[in-house]
Amino acid sequence: MRQYALRRLAYVPLIVAVVSVLTFFTLRLPFATDPVLQYTNQNTTQEQEDAIRAELGLDKPVLQQFAIWIGDVLQGNLGETFRSGQPVWPEIQRRWPVNFEILLLSVGFSTVFGVAFGVITAVKQNSPTDYGFRIFAVFGQSIPDFFLLILLIVLPSIWWNYSPPVGGHVPFFKDPYDNLRLYLPPTLLLGVGGAAGMMRLTRSTLLEVFRQDYMRTARAKGLSGRQVVVAHGLRNSLIPIVTLLGGHVTALFFGSLILEQVFSINGLGQFFLVSASTSDFPVVQFLVLYSAVAIMTMNLLIDLSYAVIDPRVKYR
Amino acid sequence: MATKTASKAAFDWAFVPARPGWPRRMARLARQHPAGLFGLIVLVLFVVLGLFGEQLAPYPADELSTGTPLQGPSLSHPFGLNQLGQDVFSRIVSGARISFIIAFWAVFLGAGSGAFLGILGGYFGRWIDYIVQRSGEAFAAFPGLVLFLMLRTAFGPNLKTIIISIGIGALFGGNRILRGQTIIERNQIYVEAARAVGCSEWRIFMRHVLPNVLPLVVVIMSGAIGAAILAESGLAFLGLGPTEASWGRDMSGTNLSIARTGYWHVVVFPGIAISLVVLGSNLLGDALRDIWDPRLRK
Repeated sequence: MRQYALRRLAYVPLIVAVVSVLTFFTLRLPFATDPVLQYTNQNTTQEQEDAIRAELGLDKPVLQQFAIWIGDVLQGNLGETFRSGQPVWPEIQRRWPVNFEILLLSVGFSTVFGVAFGVITAVKQNSPTDYGFRIFAVFGQSIPDFFLLILLIVLPSIWWNYSPPVGGHVPFFKDPYDNLRLYLPPTLLLGVGGAAGMMRLTRSTLLEVFRQDYMRTARAKGLSGRQVVVAHGLRNSLIPIVTLLGGHVTALFFGSLILEQVFSINGLGQFFLVSASTSDFPVVQFLVLYSAVAIMTMNLLIDLSYAVIDPRVKYR
Repeated sequence: MATKTASKAAFDWAFVPARPGWPRRMARLARQHPAGLFGLIVLVLFVVLGLFGEQLAPYPADELSTGTPLQGPSLSHPFGLNQLGQDVFSRIVSGARISFIIAFWAVFLGAGSGAFLGILGGYFGRWIDYIVQRSGEAFAAFPGLVLFLMLRTAFGPNLKTIIISIGIGALFGGNRILRGQTIIERNQIYVEAARAVGCSEWRIFMRHVLPNVLPLVVVIMSGAIGAAILAESGLAFLGLGPTEASWGRDMSGTNLSIARTGYWHVVVFPGIAISLVVLGSNLLGDALRDIWDPRLRK
């Protein structure tokens, strides 16, 4: 176990290194978009263009640029944005709580509702409740998340003349009420697609587990139906559930961008989008690196959690 | 189809009913899977609109002032008009084209090559398999949007960037499932039997393993269409798609601000169009899996 964890841990920097090399060199491929074009027009002279290129540090050979960038990042210096010349780190620091909260709430909603509905439908297999929830799940997986968010803005204003608050991020610890009033409804809807997938997975895994002999044994030794479902059924279905949970975190990592767009919130997604559109290399490089590190670490933790969930799991 | 006539054998073969012809078998499948039939119809309609939508639309998609701007649904404009007086119905009919082009190429190239590599890798293993699997693991650390924004920074906003980034997602999505299924089939007893009677590896692969995994490719592809359209419309909604009329794009920007003031029809109908096609793709995928995967058959 410890051996395995250490080996996997050693694997993380390797992948992260590959990802950062790939990103760095893809952005600088000879046929890729030249970021200097963002700051020039037809009146720009060659000297001015060279000066801009030198200022952005793009005049050096690519390998040298890479060495400088990676050296800076390893020392904790993320460089300055091309657009404003401001340091990258404060911009990130200011925005990440927004994304973290959106991610936490929507993944939380999709997991709680998905697992709960999955248990209900599995226990009441082939009942009207089951069919009702399954129809909900099929629709939930088909409706785009941004459409749900749009409906959230458009429909209440027509029906009840009420529009949910838009824009103006308030930190949670400063004013929990205003914060949740802004974030709860949209994150609930952002979690619908995930909840639908989670429900279908929980249902099919549980039905599989219900057929096992130990379920009958648990019933026979006198456990109540509820105890059997939770302690034996759900416990044995946790591995696929946790795996899908990880998939949801990956999918929603910058999926908050949709929510930021509809609700006019300036988060990391928006920052990423603007930086990508203006060829702001330092920001794009860092955000790719950041998501790779975060998601790889999460995947590692998920893999290690399998042994906690199911003691029979052995790592080699 | 003729029934088998009786012979002089001990069995009276005349009572063995002939297998019904394919129109009947199709009709029976359609009856058993109404949701799948619905999905098929929706997807066929989507393909028709994708290919001929611009000819079928009552008004050109970009024609201004086809009626009173922002007028609600009426007989001559079933989905109403937007703030420029463009016919929303016509824009939906012609907007199917962009979704169709992107979904087609992303699924065809992405899921297609993913299936190819997955089946080959699963059966023959070795270095192809190793490379594809390791890249898949690296890709798992990359949300689709991150990949797209990275490629967009490098290659600018164009159709190819969108198709490639959606296609890569489809590639690794289908690849894993097919690889797993191929490995399962490779270790079945019938493969061992074929090997025992002296079939070449190539023959076993082509005649025994491949026919057993190919249906799964169709299942994966029909489900992948929906995923591709969801991704494409999401990008279009963010203003990252092509500038032509498309469903996602028509729900963003000015249209969205207008809808906030009560003109819901401007954004709701394109949203329903996307949801319907994705629903169709999901239902068809589920039905095909039920039909072809014997383990799920009840």
